[in-house]
Amino acid sequence: MDVSFDRNQSSFDFNTVEACDNVTPEWLEPDSTGTTIMAVEFADGVVIGADSRATRGFYVSNRVSDKVNHVSDHIYCCRSGSAADTQAILDTIRYHLSFYEMELGEPALVKVAANLFKEMCYTYRDQLTAGIIVAGWDKRYGGQVYSIPLGGMMVRQSAIAGGSGGTYIYGYIDKFYKPRMTREECIKFVIEGISLAMERDASSGGVIRVAIIDKEGVEKKIIAGGDLPKFHEK
Amino acid sequence: MALLPDLPKGGFVFENFQRNEFLKAKGFRAPKATKTGTTIVGCLVKDGVILGADTRATSGSVIADKYSDKIHYMAKNIYCCGAGTAADTLYVTRMVSSNLELHRLNTNRVVPVICALRMLKQHLFRYQGYVSAALVLAGVDEDGAHLYSVTPHGSSDKLPFTTMGSGSLAAMAVFETRWKPNMTIEEGKKLVRDSVAAGIFNDLGSGNNIDMCIITRDGVDYMRPYEEANLKGQRLNSYVFDKGATPILTVHTIPLEVEEVMVRHMDETMDTSA
Amino acid sequence: MSIMNYNGGVVIAMKGKDCVAIATDTRLGVRSLTLTTDFPKVFQMGPTLFLGLPGLATDTMTVYQRLRFRLNMYELRENKRVRPQVFTSMVSNLLYERRFGPYFVEPVVAGLDKDGTPYIASMDLIGSYQEPEDICVAGTCSEQAYGMAEALWEKDMDADKLFEAISQSLMNACDRDAISGQGAIVHIVEKNKITTKTLKMRMD
Repeated sequence: MDVSFDRNQSSFDFNTVEACDNVTPEWLEPDSTGTTIMAVEFADGVVIGADSRATRGFYVSNRVSDKVNHVSDHIYCCRSGSAADTQAILDTIRYHLSFYEMELGEPALVKVAANLFKEMCYTYRDQLTAGIIVAGWDKRYGGQVYSIPLGGMMVRQSAIAGGSGGTYIYGYIDKFYKPRMTREECIKFVIEGISLAMERDASSGGVIRVAIIDKEGVEKKIIAGGDLPKFHEK
Repeated sequence: MALLPDLPKGGFVFENFQRNEFLKAKGFRAPKATKTGTTIVGCLVKDGVILGADTRATSGSVIADKYSDKIHYMAKNIYCCGAGTAADTLYVTRMVSSNLELHRLNTNRVVPVICALRMLKQHLFRYQGYVSAALVLAGVDEDGAHLYSVTPHGSSDKLPFTTMGSGSLAAMAVFETRWKPNMTIEEGKKLVRDSVAAGIFNDLGSGNNIDMCIITRDGVDYMRPYEEANLKGQRLNSYVFDKGATPILTVHTIPLEVEEVMVRHMDETMDTSA
Repeated sequence: MSIMNYNGGVVIAMKGKDCVAIATDTRLGVRSLTLTTDFPKVFQMGPTLFLGLPGLATDTMTVYQRLRFRLNMYELRENKRVRPQVFTSMVSNLLYERRFGPYFVEPVVAGLDKDGTPYIASMDLIGSYQEPEDICVAGTCSEQAYGMAEALWEKDMDADKLFEAISQSLMNACDRDAISGQGAIVHIVEKNKITTKTLKMRMD
């Protein structure tokens, strides 16, 4: 009788054995910023905002993460997708842009920053999981919002939502967005949008972080969990 | 192929990779490497930062090491807890540690913690999660105390308290209920102990002792063990065999002679100023 | 089946009072077929330094030869004998270099330091090592051997007691493993002598 452990002859299913071996424990899985991010242009600038939840599988690995990140003094970005990928992209672009500004002797245009992000996201589109929104203000074009979704395309839009929670609020954006809002209207619009997504999307939650960028500079705000608008109580 | 094999040049060697893939295709599973299992935690306190870790290393269901050292030295002011594949946590911290020392000698200043973070996350990102090291990095520099967690894929978080490893959920539960800002070192020690203990007693991959490392501006207090959470059962009798219990076929004895005796007196310490 | 169980074999090392012991079986097989009973997996790497390499036999030999080369180069360059701790680092570095295409061996190092301090270490196949105060175990019947050694080891055993403890651990572990055993060699390293004993054991 043949008692060899040849996988083709054996009655045991060794594929399952291997499959069991290949299960990655949740704590070794990649962190993902399964996220709600949003950016909107208003009359004199832009408002960019995000929730603060980072997840590893179904574990909340960080409930106060900062996904609204400094790119240069008048340009910020929001990251969604793999935390490792987007952090690495951000680090690289910040490095290049700071050199660019030193050589230029003046702040970079928002579309230059957005193009740098696009270039990297597109070149490495097969290896990266990154959806990024770039928003900022420059003296030539004013407030601008650029979206660089998964494949590495770049498009300018006046109001954008992204991340896993973004899908929940496009209807809201289409209905309530108006061009040339005031600063306060725009902040309220972004906060409401993100809170709507946070209530529906399991991968979004925590606090809301927003940055308001205009001619004067940047103002960063945090809206704590208890201060969020509550739609379910209406 | 040259007759004289080369000494290592640095970097990974892939000469066995194809053979091992072939063996895998033939149905031979690759053996398991030692994992740390692990509960590792870190916590900022008023005057510094505290790291805590259990001491169990496992390979499959066997405890490979009961007293493994999971709080790794990075620099005089920086330490790092490691979870994941034991060899990866050891070598990634060791490589970065030597680069930090070179950086310190080049710049002649206390290396900032962010510097260690950058080196770690860039290395881990480069290997796309295949270097399986989840880290809790802590240290004190010119700007005060810092605490970071780093995942195997190379993302990092800056947090006031953090946990990693298979026992991270149990440990995080303790932090989430009891952590408060600006704790004293004594309060912090108690919280870190209880947090690691929660991992040790509720997670099967974590166990044995609790190690702790307190980093402040005044220096480092490395306690190994901080607490022996689990002692080996006491044996009341002895199993020692008398001489001659085991049957022997042959005995061969080689006496060791002293090869040379050389005494050198070093009066001065080595000059490292250049 | 794991590749570690292709040829069979086991190595145990133990610390005693001013002495260390390292023991190996001598079987070499291809799965259940025994090829030879004269294949020890422990090698002498210095006057008081031994290295055990249980695992896949082809890698046992390759790793031994590569380490012998690195050790010779070290001794020529530094003009001194290697310390056991340094040797462990050498083994570990060799293995971690091949992190993504490893040698299938689990090395065990045993020896006396220059001042006669006992030293043992063991590591996994990619070089994560531990330097325990009591026992090191590796090979196909490591689980059985862990049970035996953990029970029989005591602090501060002299060379004779250490020999009995390590021999009994090895023999009884091998009795519950079909692909280990068929002869065993034990080295006991003391400050002034090395004693090598072959054991009388089951040959089935």
